[in-house]
Amino acid sequence: MDFGFSISRPRAIDLDKNDLSISRNALKKMPEFQACIGCGGCTATCTAGNLTQFNFRKVHTLVRRGDYQNAYDEMNKCMLCGKCRLVCPRGINTRGVAMMIKRLLSEY
Amino acid sequence: MENISTEILRYYDHFVVPFTVGVIVLFTVVIYKYVRWFVKLPRTDKSLVWHGLFTRSTFDACVEVVSESLLHRKIFRVNPILGYMHMSLAFGWFLLIAVGWLEASMQLSGIVPLHAHVFYKFFAEPGANHGVSGEILTNVMDLLLLFVLSGVALAWFKRMRSRAMGMKRATKHTTGDRIALFALWFIFPARLLAESASSGLKGIDSFLTGNIGHWMVSTFGVQNIELFSSVMWWAYSILLAVFFVSMPFSRYMHIFTEIPLIFLRKYRLRSTEKQKSYDHFQVQACSRCGICIDPCQLQADAGIMNVQSVYFLRDRRYHKLTGAVAENCFMCGRCEAKCPVGIELNTLRLNSRAKLFDLPAEGRYSFVKGTDTSSGSGKVGFFAGCMTLLNPKTLRSMEAIFDAAGEEVWWADRNGGVCCGRPLKLAGEIGAAAKMMEYNKSLFEKHGITTLVTSCPICLRVFREEYNLQGIEVIHHTQYIQRLIAQGRLSVEYSGEVFTYHDPCELGRGSGIYDEPRAVITSIGKLSEVSQSRENAFCCGSGLANITISDKGQNKISAALAEKFAETGAKTIVTACPLCKKAIARNTSLKVADISEIVAGRLTVTTNSHLAKSRIEESPLLHVMQ
Repeated sequence: MDFGFSISRPRAIDLDKNDLSISRNALKKMPEFQACIGCGGCTATCTAGNLTQFNFRKVHTLVRRGDYQNAYDEMNKCMLCGKCRLVCPRGINTRGVAMMIKRLLSEY
Repeated sequence: MENISTEILRYYDHFVVPFTVGVIVLFTVVIYKYVRWFVKLPRTDKSLVWHGLFTRSTFDACVEVVSESLLHRKIFRVNPILGYMHMSLAFGWFLLIAVGWLEASMQLSGIVPLHAHVFYKFFAEPGANHGVSGEILTNVMDLLLLFVLSGVALAWFKRMRSRAMGMKRATKHTTGDRIALFALWFIFPARLLAESASSGLKGIDSFLTGNIGHWMVSTFGVQNIELFSSVMWWAYSILLAVFFVSMPFSRYMHIFTEIPLIFLRKYRLRSTEKQKSYDHFQVQACSRCGICIDPCQLQADAGIMNVQSVYFLRDRRYHKLTGAVAENCFMCGRCEAKCPVGIELNTLRLNSRAKLFDLPAEGRYSFVKGTDTSSGSGKVGFFAGCMTLLNPKTLRSMEAIFDAAGEEVWWADRNGGVCCGRPLKLAGEIGAAAKMMEYNKSLFEKHGITTLVTSCPICLRVFREEYNLQGIEVIHHTQYIQRLIAQGRLSVEYSGEVFTYHDPCELGRGSGIYDEPRAVITSIGKLSEVSQSRENAFCCGSGLANITISDKGQNKISAALAEKFAETGAKTIVTACPLCKKAIARNTSLKVADISEIVAGRLTVTTNSHLAKSRIEESPLLHVMQ
């Protein structure tokens, strides 16, 4: 039966099994990544996000938590237009972060 | 058999061995490289060469070889002393070889081997060069040697004070380059001393080497000078050998490589977004002169010292290129405009990125299908581009302008659209960029437009250069507005206000559009030019091509740029790129406006179109603008 909606599956991050190596590597490469306040400006202005389900803030938060599942495919929706960088109130090089996440996860 | 060997040994001394070995190594390596690169050229490039071979291009290339490889006219334009230094070394040395060949052929008899031409004074008979022609030749050779030595002296001076020769910063050289440079510095002084000693001993008269030689012999005695002479000839030969052997592996590879490069370029070979064999000619034609360093704002304003084109090409040549170096560049084209060799620096950087970073693109961006949210219709399409969408004032101004001109417009992406693809391309993701381009192209074709106007120079370039839009004219909004004014479809009020204009990189150096925006501005007010404009305009520091630069670095560059505008006395800084506008506005107290804003703010309602008239009167937008 399809009601047009479903119940979200429970999600939990198991900190014992969690592999944070990529996340740590990312932070080492671009420490400014930590300056994010999660305002979501990047997502609100996103060219790709305007056309499909794509949330840069979410992806980047998930990567920081070590939840890499689907992050690479998700990140590949980015068109790299750079609007997010212009609106970021923290001056984070968001395009750089997007590229880095993709490159780090391309082998994951 | 015996005769021939005595003939050859007639002009032989052990000191010629290093020189001969050097020459053999040099030409073996250089010829091996060129043959290999040529064989590896793609078929299309080869056919361009064969087709161009017997055309005017070959003649033009020969002319350019003389003017650039020998006379270095482009370096003269950078700085006359710098130009003279390069010319004296290149042209002077060339003439020394050519005239020296003539002199040895005339004065020596029998079979004259190569080294006897080069070391002529050593093998000359005592009292040689008598008679008018001999005296003229030996004095001409002295004059040429003096010419080259003046260049060497300038080269020494340049190492100490490059600023005096128009270069604030000189290149940091590799060890190999330093060895070759060291040899080059001492080749000609050694030659002067060796030739002087031989001239003195053999009584060959000339104004430089002859006189020095006579003085040496009379001061130090024949025996001392004989010993000194053999030491100096050995030194000269060894220095030549060191230079020749290091040449194909150092920056001095450019001496020969610039010549095939000029020919191939005349045959219309170009580098592309994918690396190919032609790139080798370009990369190794770089002389690492460092002229590209000073124009680079990353160096001047942000203190980033290892990414300039000279270092990028060096790293690429020696297979040490890192992503960080390849990516840290705005591709503003300031260095490319100054490069005396005319290397396609931006394209080479682009295809390096593509090689390093192009990720598989299958299945990407399938979501763009059927996302057309465009509105309106007409033969003219307007593509705002992602960045203009962040500048609603520009959008509203364009709306007012279209209305005033009575233009029916199809708004390609006012309600959101797909990126033009250039940002991805600049990052090296060619495959992904192709998906965007495919989508947009089909969209343009579906709506049947004949003119595509864009307010973003980044989009403009990719539409023009890569989209291959048959039957659609792609113009920038500055060009479009200028046309409307020229055609009388748009009337603007002349206010006498003073404006200054910032040339965006992609619009100016990238697309060659300098005059249209200026025409628009001068029809509204006065234009006060900033100190560095047109081809020399600075980059705003927000270029999408630079993926690694930090916010701080960007800000330093735009602050340095914004400062320059204050000197113009203008109240408003006009620009024609949404990114430049944002970048400058961050760092100035002056008003920063897109060119469409100043036009829309001064529209007078006397247009031909009745429809437009009524629209403007009704339009709430104009109140916002005024």
